[in-house]
Amino acid sequence: MNETKLKPKTGTSITKTLGNYSFILIFLVILIAFLLINGGATTWSGVMNILRHSAVVGVLAFGMGLVIITGGIDLSVGSMLSLIGGLSVVVFNSTNSPIITLIFALGAGIFCGLINGVFVGIAKMPAFIVTLSTMLIYRSIAQYYLRTMGQSIYNMEGTLSSYDAFYGFGQAKWLTVPVVGVVLIAITAIMVYVSTMTKFGKTVFAVGSNEKAAQLAGISVKRTRVLVFVITGLLCGLSSFLWLGMNGSVDPATIGKSYEMYAIAAVVIGGISMSGGKGRLLGVLFGAMSYTIIDKIIASLGFDALINDTIKGSILLIAVFAQIVVPAIRERIRKPKTI
Amino acid sequence: MEMLKMTDISKSFFGVPVLKHVDFSVEQGEVHALLGENGAGKSTLMNILAGVYTRDSGTVLFNGEKLEHTTVKSSDAVGIAFVHQELNLFNDLKAFENIFLCKEITKKSGMLDKKAMIKKAGELFESLGVEIEPTMMVSELETGKKQLLEIAKALYANAKLFILDEPTTALNNEEIGHLFTIIRKLKEQGKSFVFISHKMTEIFTIADQYTVLRNGEFINTGKITETNPHEVTRMMVGSKYCEQEAYETRECGEPVLELGHLSGHGFSDVSLSINKGEVIGFTGLVGSGVSEMFQTIFGVLPITGGTLKIRDSAVSMHSIHNAMKKRVSMIPSNRKENSVIQDFTLLENCYVSEHTLSHKIQHIFSRKENKKFCKLEKVLNIKSNSPGDMITSLSGGNQQKVILARWLNTKADILLMDNPTQGIDVGAKAEIYKLINQLAKEGKTILVNTLEIPELQQVADRCVVFYHGHLQTELSRDDMSEETVMLWATNAINSLEVAK
Repeated sequence: MNETKLKPKTGTSITKTLGNYSFILIFLVILIAFLLINGGATTWSGVMNILRHSAVVGVLAFGMGLVIITGGIDLSVGSMLSLIGGLSVVVFNSTNSPIITLIFALGAGIFCGLINGVFVGIAKMPAFIVTLSTMLIYRSIAQYYLRTMGQSIYNMEGTLSSYDAFYGFGQAKWLTVPVVGVVLIAITAIMVYVSTMTKFGKTVFAVGSNEKAAQLAGISVKRTRVLVFVITGLLCGLSSFLWLGMNGSVDPATIGKSYEMYAIAAVVIGGISMSGGKGRLLGVLFGAMSYTIIDKIIASLGFDALINDTIKGSILLIAVFAQIVVPAIRERIRKPKTI
Repeated sequence: MEMLKMTDISKSFFGVPVLKHVDFSVEQGEVHALLGENGAGKSTLMNILAGVYTRDSGTVLFNGEKLEHTTVKSSDAVGIAFVHQELNLFNDLKAFENIFLCKEITKKSGMLDKKAMIKKAGELFESLGVEIEPTMMVSELETGKKQLLEIAKALYANAKLFILDEPTTALNNEEIGHLFTIIRKLKEQGKSFVFISHKMTEIFTIADQYTVLRNGEFINTGKITETNPHEVTRMMVGSKYCEQEAYETRECGEPVLELGHLSGHGFSDVSLSINKGEVIGFTGLVGSGVSEMFQTIFGVLPITGGTLKIRDSAVSMHSIHNAMKKRVSMIPSNRKENSVIQDFTLLENCYVSEHTLSHKIQHIFSRKENKKFCKLEKVLNIKSNSPGDMITSLSGGNQQKVILARWLNTKADILLMDNPTQGIDVGAKAEIYKLINQLAKEGKTILVNTLEIPELQQVADRCVVFYHGHLQTELSRDDMSEETVMLWATNAINSLEVAK
C-alpha cells in the first residue's frame, strides 16, 4: 500500500528554499518596482514609511496567520480594530493615560478574541460563521455606541496633557526608523519564535495538520484553538493602540475595512496554506509590506485609489499561482516522458 | 485463455526504479494473488494496469488487445476495474446513484429515470446475493457492504478483471466469507480477479495462482496448491526472514491496571487485572468493543460505570492528559488518520506528546530533542536519513516505530496498542513483535488488540476474547489456538453448548 510513498527528492535544495521563501521574491519585485517608479524621488524616510504603514495590518495579520495554520479563519479582525480603537479613545479621553489605554486595548482584544475562540474551539462552530457574526457585531457596536454619544467620530482630545506624548509616539522615530515599525519588527520576531521554537507553536501546526492525531497525541485541541483566537484579539488590541498613536482618531465605519482580507492575503502571500498545518509566519511580514508598497506605487503614479484593489487582487492571484501551479508544472516537466 | 499479459514492465519514479522488468499474467476465470511486502511494487503494477500511472517500458495485452496510452477511463472501458483500498464511493449519494454515476438511465425528456435505475440496482444486488437497499445512503452502509457495492458497481460497468487491493482489511470474518462466495460466483461466470492481501489464510482460501514481487522484481509465480504459507512468506521477504518465535517467558510483577466491572461506550462490565511487565492480547471481531475499551482507559471516551485503577489510584475524572500523567499511552489503530501528523518531521512527531507533559517550559531545546530522538531511533531501529525528514517519507513500519518512540519518549510504561501492525509488511511486523517482547522485559505493561491470532502467539502471555462488548473468556498462552479463539470471538461456543 505504500509503494507510491517512495518519495523522490523534489528538486535541489536551492530551488526548494526559493519555493519556501517565495514571499521574499515577491516582496523584492514589488519593492524594486516601487524604487524604479519613484526614481530620484526615493528617500530613506519614504522607504521607512513602508514599515510604518504596514504596522497596523501587519501586527494583526500574525494572529490571522496562527488561526489559519490551525485550519481556521478570523474575519472579525477589522471590526475588532473598530470596536477596540473606538472604546480606547473613550478610555484615553477619560483617563488621560496612554498606559491605561494600552492595557485596556489589550484586555479588550483578549476579550473579543476569547468570544471567537470559545465559539470555535469549545462549541466547535465553524470559524468562518462565528467570525462573520462577530465581524458584524463588533463594528456595529462601535458605530452604535458613537451615535449614542452624539458624535460622528471617536476623537482623542488634543487638549489632554498626555495627548502629545501619545500622538508623538505614533510619529516618533528611533534611529530614523518609525517606532511603530519597530513594534512590527518586534512582533515579527516574537511570533516567529513562538511558532517555530516553542511547544505551543508546534501544537498550532499539529492541530492544523491532523486534528485527530494531535488530540490522541495528548494535545488539547480546544485550548489551542481558543488560544490562537485570543492571541489574534490581543494583537488586534495592540494594532488599535498603534492606530491611535498614528492617527489620533477612529472612524468606526471605515477603520480596518477589508483588513481581514488584507490580512488573509498577507498570510497567503507569505506561503501559509489555507488548509492549515503548513507555512511560516515570517512570510506575513513580507506579505503585509508588499501590500503597503502597492498603495505607495499607486499614489506616486497618480492613479485613482479605487484601482488599488484590482492590483492587490491580481498580485494575490499571481502569488498563489506561483506557489501552486509553478511547482506542479515543474514536476510534470521533470517526469520522464513515457512510452 | 490468457486474459491479461503484462510483460517486461518497468517503472521509475524520479530515477528510483520501483518495477524492474516484471511479468504478470492472469487467466480467465482465475483468482490471482499478487503478493509482496509494502514497497514491493504491487500497487504500482496495478496502477499501471488501471491507467493511474504510465509505464516506462513493457507491453500490456488484455484479451489479446494491446493496451497503450492507458488512462483510467480507457482501462475502465476495456473492462478493468480497480477496487481501491480507500473506497471510491460517494458517501452523500444513494447506493444506486453510485452505481449509475456517469452512466445514468434517462427518460426521453432527459430526466433521470430513477425507477428504472433502482430496479436495475436491486436486480444487480440480488444476483450477487448482497443485501443492500438501492435507495440507502452510502454513508449509512457498513464498510463491508460498501466494498460489495463497489464490486457491484464495477460489475455493472461490465468489468472483466477486478483488482482487489487488500479488500478484507475492514471486513469481519462473516463479511469476508460473503465476499469470497461472491468472488467464486463471478469466477464461474468467467471473471478474473487480482487479489492483493497480506493475510495468508485468505490467500490460501481463495486464490488459484500467485505471483510474488520483491523490491520491484518478479520472484516467482505458480499454483497456490503447490506451495505453502511458509514458502510464500520466504519468497516475499527474501533472506531477512527468520521464523523464530519472538516470545520468551517472563516474570510479571504486581497489578498495575485494574478494571472492576468497567463500562463505557461499546463495552460493558469488564473485570480484569493486568500485571507489570505483562503482554496481554485482546481479540475480537470488528465491533467487539476492545478499541473502545482502550480509548476509555486512555481517556478519549468517558467511563460510564465501574472502576478503573491505574497503579493503585482510582481514576474518576479521566482525560487523555490525565492518562498520560499516569504514564499510560495508546497507539491507536489506523495510523494515517489517528497518529501520524503528516506535515511534521520525524523529530516533531516524536516529541509532540512529551511536550504536552512538560509544557511549563515552552522553549524547545533542539539539540537535546535531537539527542533523545537519536537514542530512541537506535533502540527501535528506525531507518531514516535524518530526524528532519518528513514522516510521510517513511514506510508504514518505520512510521509506526516513530509513533512508538513518541510514547516511549513520554516515559509511559503502560502501552495500549490497537492493531499495531495494521498495513505493515511482514519483515517490519517481526520487528514490532521483537520490540514488544523487549519492552515487556524492561518492565513495560503492554495491551495489544489484534485480529491476527499468530500475532498474539508471538507476544502475548495470555489473551482475552471479546464479543459484542463483553469479555467472553480469558485464554492462557497454551490455549491460544486460532480455532479456540475464533470459537469464542464469533460466539460459536455458546451455540455449540446450546446444541449439546
